[in-house]
Amino acid sequence: MSTTKLFLRGVADMRRFPLPQLCTLLTVCMVALLAGTGLLILHNVQSEVLRTQGQARFQIYWKVGADLTAVEAQWTDLKRAPGIAEVSTFTPRAALSELMRGLAPKNSGGGLAASNGANGTSGASVGEDFAWLEGENPLPATALVSFNIPPDEQPEPWMGRMYARLKGLEGVEQVTYNPTQLTLATGWIALVQKAAWPALGFFALVVGLVVGNTLKLMMLARRDEVEILSLVGARPWFIRAPLFANGVVQGLCGSVLSLFCLKFLQTWLRSVLDVPPLFLKVEFLPLWQSVALVLCTTCVAGLASLIAARK
Amino acid sequence: MVHLEHVNCILGGAQALKDVTLHVERGEFVFLTGPSGAGKTTLLRVLYGDLKPKSGAADVAGVDLMRLRGAQLPELRRKVAVVFQDFKVLPERTVFENIAIALEVRGVSSVSIDKRVRAVIRALDLEERSYARCGELSGGEQQRVAIARSMVVNPELILADEPTGNLDSDLSRHLIELFKQFNTYGTTIIMATHNREVLSWAPEARQVHLVRGVITEAPPSAAGWVLDTKPIIGGRA
Repeated sequence: MSTTKLFLRGVADMRRFPLPQLCTLLTVCMVALLAGTGLLILHNVQSEVLRTQGQARFQIYWKVGADLTAVEAQWTDLKRAPGIAEVSTFTPRAALSELMRGLAPKNSGGGLAASNGANGTSGASVGEDFAWLEGENPLPATALVSFNIPPDEQPEPWMGRMYARLKGLEGVEQVTYNPTQLTLATGWIALVQKAAWPALGFFALVVGLVVGNTLKLMMLARRDEVEILSLVGARPWFIRAPLFANGVVQGLCGSVLSLFCLKFLQTWLRSVLDVPPLFLKVEFLPLWQSVALVLCTTCVAGLASLIAARK
Repeated sequence: MVHLEHVNCILGGAQALKDVTLHVERGEFVFLTGPSGAGKTTLLRVLYGDLKPKSGAADVAGVDLMRLRGAQLPELRRKVAVVFQDFKVLPERTVFENIAIALEVRGVSSVSIDKRVRAVIRALDLEERSYARCGELSGGEQQRVAIARSMVVNPELILADEPTGNLDSDLSRHLIELFKQFNTYGTTIIMATHNREVLSWAPEARQVHLVRGVITEAPPSAAGWVLDTKPIIGGRA
């Protein structure tokens, strides 16, 4: 009998034990859902941490007197760059205005308009000191650009590449970034990545143990069949192939069912948490994690069936 | 067919077979007798490769049991069929399926399976129950299914471990006649029993007596072993 026929027989034989099969399916589904929920939490925590903490910020200074039209075109391009989180731009005039506002006393309106006033405090006099610069502004065009560091990238090399790219923009004189901020971002990313792998390992272990043992228990219902097949001279593959198919189908159906349940859970959580003042957007698992959950559960179930069929 | 020389076997820390030497020729009908716990089942388990002897030499149907590896076990089991007291049929499968399974594992074509299974079903008077689930059959019918499954493959040797133990006297006699019939076709049969009535139905068969794991060719005349003639399960449906 061919392997395909043996697999089909294994699937067809599932109807002979409806109750153990149903109980096993529900258990596999629940365990996969539990692991999926853990992954969902981990994924969302990771996304949130990377969104809020895993950012790199660059200050870009163009040359004094650079063509402002060309610079503004570069700003537009920067705003469309992948992974961009925030872009704040300053024309030389806006930069001077910001500078004067910063130096002006708190009760002063600040800015170029305020700088025209003659009387006032020492702060006002400082503002007044810069008013004459308006015609020959020495400040360059600048931009403060924040990027989300891609989760799959090492922060330092990525920062180096991004620095070189920004430095290479036409008319750019200097690019600076804060090493402390890089260290912080690197620390957060490292923490999240360090937490992720043990958690993934833990979920894989839980799925492996529970699904494996559940499948083995289900196979007890078929132990007589295994014994009889062995007595009449069946080769090991003849005995194991149908059981393997049974386990694979159980693992596949249970895990796919768990993904539907997880989607329902995620939708519900989103509706509950994405409201003031939380505004937490719970995202569904990325495709690779969903596929990994299904594959992991299916493989474990198939493997457990093979082991259970051993004498 | 069976050649055992000075076979010793340990089971659960106790010596279940002690220096057993037994030779059974092709076409022989042998009763293995002795009281409960004498080692009859252990000896049969050795013969179908379920237990490996600790020492000695053992050859069954040309297979050296002392060198038997897992991969060779199916080869032995295809030459040696086993019938048990508790039938060992699959209750959720039909009579036809239970018998056909022995041919399916051998890769026999479905056309040939159909022909051979129907022939055996007819021979064992199970035609009316061909598509009944075995769980719905009486004990006697289930035992006939088990015998049919062992016979459909035309084995060189049939080992029967108390096959009539759960059956009444009439049915037991009928089954012994079946075994005798297959024996006349050349199949070697070794049947374990502690029922003297069963022995009387096949007086031509050789009797090998076991007591505490030691073999003696002739059974003792005294009360060295238990008489059992009481039926446990009712007759044919």
